[in-house]
Amino acid sequence: MRENNLSSTAKIGGHPIHPMLVPFPIAFFVGAFVTDLIYWRAPDAMWETFSVWLITAGLVMAGFAAIAGLIDFVGNRAIRALKPAWPHVLGNVLALLLSLINVFVHSRDGYTAVVPTGLILSGLVVAILLFTGWMGGEMVYRHRVGGVN
Amino acid sequence: MRILRTSRQSRHTSRLFILCAVICCLGLAGCDDNGGDPKQQIGANPVLPEPQQYLLPPMHIARVAQWGKDEMPTVPQGMQIHALATGLEHPRSVYALPNGDVLVVEADGPKAPINRPKDLIMGWVQSFGGSKVEGGNRITLLRAADGDGKPAIRSVFLENLNSPFGVALVGQDLYVANTDAIIRYPYTDGETTITAKGTKLTDLPGGPIDHHWTKSLLASPDGSKLYVGVGSNSNITENGIQAEYERAAIWEVDRMSGAHRIFASGLRNPTALQWEPESGKLWAVANERDELGPDLVPDYLTSVKDGAFYGWPYSYYGQHLDPRVEPQRPDLVAKAIAPDYALSSHVAPLGLAIYTGADLPASFHGGAFVSEHGSWDRNPLNGYKVVFVPFKDGKPSGAAEDFVTGFLNADNQARGRPVGLAVDRTGGLLIADDLGNTVWRVSSLHAAPAPKANP
Repeated sequence: MRENNLSSTAKIGGHPIHPMLVPFPIAFFVGAFVTDLIYWRAPDAMWETFSVWLITAGLVMAGFAAIAGLIDFVGNRAIRALKPAWPHVLGNVLALLLSLINVFVHSRDGYTAVVPTGLILSGLVVAILLFTGWMGGEMVYRHRVGGVN
Repeated sequence: MRILRTSRQSRHTSRLFILCAVICCLGLAGCDDNGGDPKQQIGANPVLPEPQQYLLPPMHIARVAQWGKDEMPTVPQGMQIHALATGLEHPRSVYALPNGDVLVVEADGPKAPINRPKDLIMGWVQSFGGSKVEGGNRITLLRAADGDGKPAIRSVFLENLNSPFGVALVGQDLYVANTDAIIRYPYTDGETTITAKGTKLTDLPGGPIDHHWTKSLLASPDGSKLYVGVGSNSNITENGIQAEYERAAIWEVDRMSGAHRIFASGLRNPTALQWEPESGKLWAVANERDELGPDLVPDYLTSVKDGAFYGWPYSYYGQHLDPRVEPQRPDLVAKAIAPDYALSSHVAPLGLAIYTGADLPASFHGGAFVSEHGSWDRNPLNGYKVVFVPFKDGKPSGAAEDFVTGFLNADNQARGRPVGLAVDRTGGLLIADDLGNTVWRVSSLHAAPAPKANP
């Protein structure tokens, strides 16, 4: 019964688009946190340059993932009614906004492009993604959102 | 029960969300884009506010406008200004040859690489404030004539150069500072074009980044040395400290061997080197760092002491630490000296002429003209004019006063941006304008037009 109710709206050949896209921003933002950590310990400008490109790429891909995700969220009342759905959406929107601020922080010149604000924001985004990713997993693996009928 | 828990949890999440949004807005609103009175930052003891850091640094470019019919820059009473040459290709510096001929260096920087996403955006925004004409990579010779003040001869003197800026003549050796090397050419008095292939005297720090590309040039009075202003390769080391090797410094190059040593360092972008005749000291103007606020850091005019360190990148005006530089160098900061004379923030001084002519009134004799290319990261705009700093006993002796203004119109649109300065043989002040693609000449109103040059 639930399988019918929780189908994805943005999909290709029955496969939902949102889970195809989310690995990109997750990997980019985690990568940025890692290069930020390295820069913090050994401030070579190269690591800061990696970080700012990773955050930029993360933002672009997060934008696409968000569009697909929002279509599924808006397109199915039963998905919205799920317990993990709202925390998943709001958490990811927050991560996106913080990353947008973070790309401006990282566009500063020199050390303060990362330490401390940029590093804190990168870490915060990774922490939020751990939570929202788990919530997404709850929706897919427990509630079978996006399953093919 | 489940619905209840869901809504409580989502309410909690949205509260966190709103809190974060409010913090972000406060952070943005907290940025103060408006600069104070530039007069507080002119002279030996500028007021230095606390540094600020931005999410979006203030950018305020003067849009480009054309001169109306009969419109010209404004000069003080008793002076006149006219366009010596127009339709040039991005004139950046002017040099007066001893025979009265004038060399106009037409150049722009090499194409900057895209290192960070910011470079794309900044390049796009700054393109609104510059000339659409590409740098000519050449030097044009102008020869004055009797009568209308227009040059009798205008010829391409040297071409196919690589972002040239500085020129210095020593005897029959003409040195041109390209962005990556000093080249020597043979010159004979009266020549209007040089076809000989140049000889490289020494390499200079050039690409691939080449952030501050202009290399100003000045020969020592005895002709044995050349002094070269080499700007930094970044705003504040964001391209890595290794990219700054032998940059942000004034080089002393031996004219015979091409060997060099660092004469002075810690000068972010020293352009326009000049000898002050009374003290015999080397003077320069320098562009200081950006993105610490509309009133930081004031650009300056200073005598340059042999072996001195002027702070960049670690500190400014002595021991004011720049928070953006890590690792810091307390050993260097301890010996950093403050420059002599602040010109206020972001005016972008790029030309300096210590007046040794006779044409302008006596009050200008011995003082320094400084051209201010104009700000791009400050509101209200600052610079976009040529100022005069009076000197006494070889040192600045008062407040800078406006000399040539009116490059901005009433709507704060730029019709010209002054760059290089020189004093020609008859004492006129020459001003390269790389937005209007013009060379202006200022002289006394009573003075006869520039006399004919020696053949």
